[in-house]
Amino acid sequence: MTLTQHIWLPLVAATALATSMAAAQDTTLSYMMWDPEQLEAERAAIAEFEASNPGVTVEALAMPPEDYWPRLSALAAAGDLPDVFAMSSGFVQSWAEAGNLADLTGLITDEQLAQYYDSAASVGVIGDARVAFPQNWVAPVMYYNIDMFDAAGVEHPQADWTWDDFLAAAQALTVDEDEDGTPEQYGMWLYGRYSHIEPWIFRNGGRLLNDDMTALDPSPEAVNALEFLTSLVNEHGVAPAPAEMEGIRQQDVFPLGMAAMWVDGSWNIANVRDIAGDSFQWGIAQVPVGPDATEETARAYAWADMLAIATNSEQPDLAWDFIQHMVGEGRTASDFLGGKIPAFQAIAESEAWLEADMQPANKGLLLEIGTQPVETGFSRDWSAWRGYAASGSGGMNGELDEVFNGRSELDEAIENFVAYGNDVLTR
Amino acid sequence: MTPAWRRYAPALIFLLPALVGLAVFRLVPILWSFVLSFYDWQIFDQPSFTGLDNYIHILTSPVSGQVLRNTAVFALIYVPGSIALSLVLASVLNNALRSSAFFRSALFLPYITSTVAVTLAWKWIFSTRFGLLNNALAALGIDAAPAWLADPTYALPAVAIVSIWKDVGFYMILLLAGLQTIDPTYYEAARIDGARVVRRFFRITVPLLSRSLFFVLIIAMVRSTQTFEITYALTEGGPNRSSTTLAYFIYENAFIHFQMGYAAALAYILCFLLGLLTLVNFYFRRRWVHE
Repeated sequence: MTLTQHIWLPLVAATALATSMAAAQDTTLSYMMWDPEQLEAERAAIAEFEASNPGVTVEALAMPPEDYWPRLSALAAAGDLPDVFAMSSGFVQSWAEAGNLADLTGLITDEQLAQYYDSAASVGVIGDARVAFPQNWVAPVMYYNIDMFDAAGVEHPQADWTWDDFLAAAQALTVDEDEDGTPEQYGMWLYGRYSHIEPWIFRNGGRLLNDDMTALDPSPEAVNALEFLTSLVNEHGVAPAPAEMEGIRQQDVFPLGMAAMWVDGSWNIANVRDIAGDSFQWGIAQVPVGPDATEETARAYAWADMLAIATNSEQPDLAWDFIQHMVGEGRTASDFLGGKIPAFQAIAESEAWLEADMQPANKGLLLEIGTQPVETGFSRDWSAWRGYAASGSGGMNGELDEVFNGRSELDEAIENFVAYGNDVLTR
Repeated sequence: MTPAWRRYAPALIFLLPALVGLAVFRLVPILWSFVLSFYDWQIFDQPSFTGLDNYIHILTSPVSGQVLRNTAVFALIYVPGSIALSLVLASVLNNALRSSAFFRSALFLPYITSTVAVTLAWKWIFSTRFGLLNNALAALGIDAAPAWLADPTYALPAVAIVSIWKDVGFYMILLLAGLQTIDPTYYEAARIDGARVVRRFFRITVPLLSRSLFFVLIIAMVRSTQTFEITYALTEGGPNRSSTTLAYFIYENAFIHFQMGYAAALAYILCFLLGLLTLVNFYFRRRWVHE
């Protein structure tokens, strides 16, 4: 044995021993989600989890949704999913059917479950199994410009508003000062986007899909809602044609003061605050219940952002502990940005989350939605038939925009998007 | 070791890393995607064999038909438009050497600028109410200007125009290099013989530039079927799919809807059409390209 071997062999052996001891003690839990900004907000909660679980390191990774889903899918194909990952209401069914999500059914007691909004918690139940657990939920609401309402002498939106009340307000709030035929201020802003349209359909007791969510079959209530929305643009002129707003980010139309009312997701609260600042007072209201709905059939539109455990996770118990920490008391109100509503009721109802000193002053209205019967509207291949994200120009979205732009009749558009949607769903 | 093997072994060893990279990251995915085109696969689930279903659906679906038509229309605007414009610009710059360095750089600049950044600027130019173009038209008394990006008649041409503007500098440089290989004595002789500018252009420039033109034609045709970023940032394929071309449709199916088998079949149809067009071009090459 040479001198070098005398020195190196004990060193190598000692290093190997130290490494194996460390490996026995240290555990790495991988966690992946789709919002880098949100992950920064979660860092403190993650550090707290690590501190209360000595030897556990959480390897957290976030990327925007357009990168997240392809990456997560590739990891699933490689059998290398992270232990815990964010799961959307839109994909949970497909991912559960593919067998990628661990069954969490027996891990949570009814007592624990009662601490969460049922409407959010129920989204993660596919068939008989709970495959994902909600972290927060979101819901479309009606944003309204208080200054414009007051200037026009119109009563603010009320919980018992009918669609006629809404239309009368929208007419009063549409202002064409120079009478050139193009209002400087519209009463309402909408286009074919899911979060602009479906709230009206569900609040009218309507459905787009059949009972088992396998085919597009718009109910008469849904068609009536679409007719009403079409009339806002093409008959009453209280909302602009989408073509008129081309070039302006859709989420900026309301905060820029171009429309007095707008229905879109609660997550836009952050953007309205950023763009509008203190330039005007604004609030949120529930979308008016439609004339065809009853108390039993009117539903709110809401869905949850959830966490799931990979079926092939080697440490499901630790992963569940982490989920419990991340969806419950381990979090603070400041972790939930803008209009993201914590699924854990105690945080959602806290003064810190309600932000009474900020606009909208009535943020608590969102919590009422969580106690109502809700519809998520998602099905398999939803993004394709609905026309979502980079596919937003197609499907139902594209066809409805043609109607609002005056280039197509509603009947024809419905026929087209139903045919296309059913082709997608049966492919 | 045979003498031949001894001769080629060092070269192969040096080439091995590149060959392995090419095989692993190019050839295998290309072949694997062909296999995938016969499957229904969402990446995160188990693939299921569907035979020719993906191909049959693409060839019979009205949406795929519309997308193929859009791709053809886009190519018919983009290919002749970019070649004609780059040829004109290259000729002008070739004859104005003193100031051409500045203009060469200026015209090449869009090609190397971030596509998304310049496309967002174009989106503002084309904006219906607040866009530069429509406000300029209004200043000229044209009040009924179209919604360029929200009207099915104009959206695809608008995407093609921005694409031409973006790429023309690249083609211009290729043609300029070709022009500078033409011996000036041909032009002097033609001038002495009394040939005018147009005649000199078609009788000397075009024939002697034909090899460069052929190369640009092939490149432009391939690029015309690959338009993605500009479509994504400008129209997202809208309104109502009127500017969705095949490359964009492949992206949608692969990475929005996760229909990887369907997207692979679309990609192979694109590959087949491009291959066919290239073969046609090579066939006609003999008739107009001077070797």
